[in-house]
Amino acid sequence: MLGLGIESTAHTFSCAIIEKTGKKGKILSDVRKIYRPDEGEGIHPREASRHHIENSSLVLSDCLKEANISIKDLDIVSYAAGPGLGPCLRVGAVVARSLSSFYKIPIYPVNHAIGHIELGKLLTGATNPLVLLVSGGHTMLLAFLNKQWRVFGETLDITLGQLLDQFGRSIGFASPCGKNIEELANLSSNYVLLPYSVKGNDVSFSGLLSATKSVATKNKEDACYSLQETAFAMISEAVERALSFTRKKELMIVGGVAANKRLSAMLKDVCKRHGCKFFVVPLEYAGDCGSQICWTGLLESQVKQGVALKDTFVTQSWRLDSVKVHY
Amino acid sequence: MKLIKKGAEADLYQTKWHDSNAILKIRKIKKYRNPSLDSKIRKQRTIKESQTLSLVKSYGIPTPLVYFVNLDDTSIMMQEIPGKPVHDLSESKIIELSKDMGKLVGILHKNGIMHGDLTTSNFILFKQTVFVIDFGLSQITIKPEDHAVDLRLIKEILNSAHARIMLSSWKNFLNGYKSIVGPAYYSKITKLVSDIESRGRYAQVV
Repeated sequence: MLGLGIESTAHTFSCAIIEKTGKKGKILSDVRKIYRPDEGEGIHPREASRHHIENSSLVLSDCLKEANISIKDLDIVSYAAGPGLGPCLRVGAVVARSLSSFYKIPIYPVNHAIGHIELGKLLTGATNPLVLLVSGGHTMLLAFLNKQWRVFGETLDITLGQLLDQFGRSIGFASPCGKNIEELANLSSNYVLLPYSVKGNDVSFSGLLSATKSVATKNKEDACYSLQETAFAMISEAVERALSFTRKKELMIVGGVAANKRLSAMLKDVCKRHGCKFFVVPLEYAGDCGSQICWTGLLESQVKQGVALKDTFVTQSWRLDSVKVHY
Repeated sequence: MKLIKKGAEADLYQTKWHDSNAILKIRKIKKYRNPSLDSKIRKQRTIKESQTLSLVKSYGIPTPLVYFVNLDDTSIMMQEIPGKPVHDLSESKIIELSKDMGKLVGILHKNGIMHGDLTTSNFILFKQTVFVIDFGLSQITIKPEDHAVDLRLIKEILNSAHARIMLSSWKNFLNGYKSIVGPAYYSKITKLVSDIESRGRYAQVV
C-alpha cells in the first residue's frame, strides 16, 4: 500500500511517500523545505505559509520523483490537520484536498503529535513505551491506555522548544536555536543556580526563562550551560517519576529537541537506573516531516475509510489525548 | 537491609529501627544532574519531607513516624506502613477511597500545606486507614493557585492511570474535598483548576 503524507504545521513543508506491507513501512522519499526567519526573530505565520505555498509544488514533485512513482499509484493521501499555525496548516490541507478530489484518492486528516509518536515507534521498534514528546509545540509524557494516548505529565506553560528558542532569540540566534545553545553550553562548566520547578510529573519553564535571560547579560556560555542543566534535569526528573508510576520498561523520545545530546545522555542515565530500554528517534526524523503524517495515515487506513472532503478540517488546537486510536 | 523500591527520586529499604519495622528512604546522588543542583535538591527535599511528615500529624493526617534524619546521606528513617498503595487496589475500592483522599487533601490545604506530588501511589491503605506519604515536594503555602496545582495533578493522574473510573473517582474526590474546605473555597479552587488547564498547550479554549 502506498501513502503520501503532507506536513505543514509550522516551519516545515514536507511531503513523503511510504510503502506499507503488513506491519512494516518503508520510507521511499521524504522531501522538506524549511522556512527560516531572520536572526533574533521567531516564526511569522503569514510569511511561513507564503513560503509553504511557494515551495509546495516543487516539494511534491521531488517527492514523487525520488520515490519513482506517479500520483495515480497512491492509495491514500494524509495531511497534518493540527495542532499548528492556522495559515500553515491550510496550505497542506489544500494540497491534500486537491489531490484527493482530482485523482479520487481517499484522504486522512492526521494529528501531528501522534505522527511524531507513530513514526518513532516504526523506526525504533519500541512496542509499549513511555513517550517523551519534546518539540517547539509539545512537552509531554505519554503512555498508551484504552485506545488513547494519555498524558502523565506535561508543561504547565511554555514548551522545552519554546524555552530554548525564546532564550536563544534573546541572545541573537535564529529559531530553532537548540543547536546553537548546545554548542555554547559545551564551552562552560560553571553552573549558576536557576529556578527548578517540578510539580509532580509536570514542569514549568517560564520562571526559568526570565532568570536565564538575566544571567545571559553577564555571561552567555554560563547561561546556556546552566539553562540546559536545569531544564533537562527537570525533564529527566519528570520522566523518572512517570516511569516509576507507570512501571513502563521502555522510554522513547521524539520531537525536535530529541536531537540534543546532553538531554539524551541524561535520559540514558535515567533508563539505566530503572532497568528500562531507551529509544531515541533517528536525528533525520526527529523534526517535523511528511513521513510522520504518512505513516499515521497508513495506520488509520487499516481500520477507517478516508473522510469526506467536507470533513477535511484543520484545527490549530487539537490535543493528542483527545484522539481515539483504533488500529 | 532489603531494597523494596527504586522510586523516582529515592530508594526505599526495609529495615529495623531498634525493634520496630522501618523504611529507610535514601535520596541517592543523581549523576545526570549537575552536582551543586543535585545536592541542593536532595538536601532541601529531605528536610522538607521530614518536617512536613511530622507537622501534618498535628492536623490529623495519618503519616509514617519519622525516626531519624541524616542530612549527610540525605536519608530518612521512618515507620513502615505495611499496607497497599491505592494505585494497586481494585477499581471499585479506588472509587470508594477517592472520597477519603479528597478529605485528606482538604485538611492539608485548610492548614496551608500543599502536597506537591499527589498521585494514587502516595496514598497507602492500611487497616481501613488511608496514610499519606512522600512529602518531598510539599510547600507551606496558603496561595489558592498552589492548592489548585495539587488538585490538577491528581486529576491528571486519575485521567491517565485510572481512565476507566475517572469520572466517578474524581467526583468522589471533589465531594470529600468540599466537605472539608467548604463550598466557597471549593468553587474558587475548582475554577482555578480550569484556569490552569486552559493555560495548557492546545487546550480547548471555550
